Amino acid sequence: MTARSTGRRIRPSGGYELFMWYFMRLSGLALVFLAVGHLFIMHILNNVETINYAFVASRWTAPRTGWIWRLWDASLISLAVIHGFNGLRQVLYEYLSAGGRIVAGTVTWALTAVFIGAGGYSILMFQPDEGFIKEHPLKIERTTEISSASAPPASQPISVAR
Amino acid sequence: MPQTPRAPHAYQSGTLARIVDGLRYGGGIGQWSWLAHRLSGLGILFFLIVHITDTFFVVFAPDWYDHTVAIYGGVWFDGHYYWPLRWAFRVAELGLIASVVFHAINGVGVILYDLWPKGSLYRKPILWTVQVAFWGIMLVTTPIVLYPLRKAPDQPAASRPAPPPAGVASVVPGR
Amino acid sequence: MLSQAELIDPQARTLTVRIKRYNPEVDEKPHWEEYKVEADGHDRVLDVIQKVKWEQDDTLSLRRSCAHGVCGSDAMRINGSNGLACKILVKNLRSDTLTLEPILGLPVLKDLIVDMKPFFDHYKSVMPFLVNDEQPPTAERLQSPAERARFDESTKCILCACCTTACPPFWGDRKYVGPAAIVNAHRFIFDSRDRGAAERLEILNDAEGVWRCRTVFNCTSACPRDIKVTQTISEVKRLLMTGNIDLDTAPSVVIGN
Repeated sequence: MTARSTGRRIRPSGGYELFMWYFMRLSGLALVFLAVGHLFIMHILNNVETINYAFVASRWTAPRTGWIWRLWDASLISLAVIHGFNGLRQVLYEYLSAGGRIVAGTVTWALTAVFIGAGGYSILMFQPDEGFIKEHPLKIERTTEISSASAPPASQPISVAR
Repeated sequence: MPQTPRAPHAYQSGTLARIVDGLRYGGGIGQWSWLAHRLSGLGILFFLIVHITDTFFVVFAPDWYDHTVAIYGGVWFDGHYYWPLRWAFRVAELGLIASVVFHAINGVGVILYDLWPKGSLYRKPILWTVQVAFWGIMLVTTPIVLYPLRKAPDQPAASRPAPPPAGVASVVPGR
Repeated sequence: MLSQAELIDPQARTLTVRIKRYNPEVDEKPHWEEYKVEADGHDRVLDVIQKVKWEQDDTLSLRRSCAHGVCGSDAMRINGSNGLACKILVKNLRSDTLTLEPILGLPVLKDLIVDMKPFFDHYKSVMPFLVNDEQPPTAERLQSPAERARFDESTKCILCACCTTACPPFWGDRKYVGPAAIVNAHRFIFDSRDRGAAERLEILNDAEGVWRCRTVFNCTSACPRDIKVTQTISEVKRLLMTGNIDLDTAPSVVIGN
């Protein structure tokens, strides 16, 4: 809707709390698709009991779709960690006095960096351990796009929506 | 209780007491939604920390990863299957899904209140839509998540510490 | 016109009135006391309290002035929710138990009386007065009906503190300026004659300003003047984002409320 203007304008304020407030809403919108989609794939389409190392490897190293899942998971982790720890910071701010807030702000941002680092590292730096996959293959029976090591020999894997 | 008058002083309840007192406030479904949004958010954050940590194992210790996720299916580190473990994790999984679904739907409502100029005038319809959508989704999801519990897992003993010989699929035939 | 039957009220009932009492000279913390009161359906909750005070226990303390929902003195927590005792009729009470407490989050001075100083300090912090250093015109500062309507909603505030003490973030963080202060800032920010908007927004653009609001809407449902409090807070939030003091008046009908 267009706003009928009074002609009066003031400079948009900016600032830390405004930025984080806006970030929470935008990242929230993105996370509705990323997080709910991730849950739907992992808990509804798949059974979590069948997830093992080979499954993760097949997902992230699939020849054509692997990068999509890595990108998906990396953005999910970054946005969710910032969103989550900022939410925690907001809750703590509500119940803490000035000194406690400095501690809470520092700790939550430090943890944000640690967990984005750990998550991003595992997603982007992942190299499949072919020997381990041979020993402990996929637990799921249905055909999926499997990296060459764990695929049945000489059969070209068929891509199935995962 | 002393009956001698003393210098009067005002009564100030502590933060915790105010929060507990606030739970009795008649804010109705809107206030409960706020509380559920907050608690589900904190719960999801806790799970996220655990989940990032366990996924971190894939880069340096694949067997740790398999041991850890096997717990989910009820297989403890000793390689034995314990059904209460599996049931507990299934129920927790359902809790996680419920938290994410509620946080997502209610979060969209909050975005509407804040960013859509007329959003906060449509508070009641938004609140009820959130409720209907949440319970509708959970009604469909709950049976799907709990369905595998109807029987014991296919390969309870297939996990460590005795790995099957290479090449032998751990999937029990006749599943 | 009320008929004779209505005057002899068929809705008369015996109320069990539970009041949270606190005597600052004796008590360590508040305690509950119970009274039985014969009340008429058309009595206000305030009448019930006064019956207790005048007929049963004259040590009961409460604040009240106009008794007609204008001065905002008798804000209290009635059956769990904030409201003015003089605006709620006995016939509208759901049960025969009437629970009365002081509003939550401000220091209790005695019984139902709270110390309003923190509340008014927050109110003062947003500069609730017209700021305009321009050369005044010879007549009054003119304003179009649309410009006046823009902030009509927030002029209705009587500073009873029902909204601020109904706000869960305020219970946790009493440095939060609270909905009432934001409503009163809104009243001047959106006034076309005012020039202090930037300064007020600077105060509200803070962890203790509008960003503490979690859109719980307890304030909106508590307001005895039916101000759409959360809507006015949202308008200030959006103004902070866009910097545009627009003329769109808040629609007068709350949908589904």
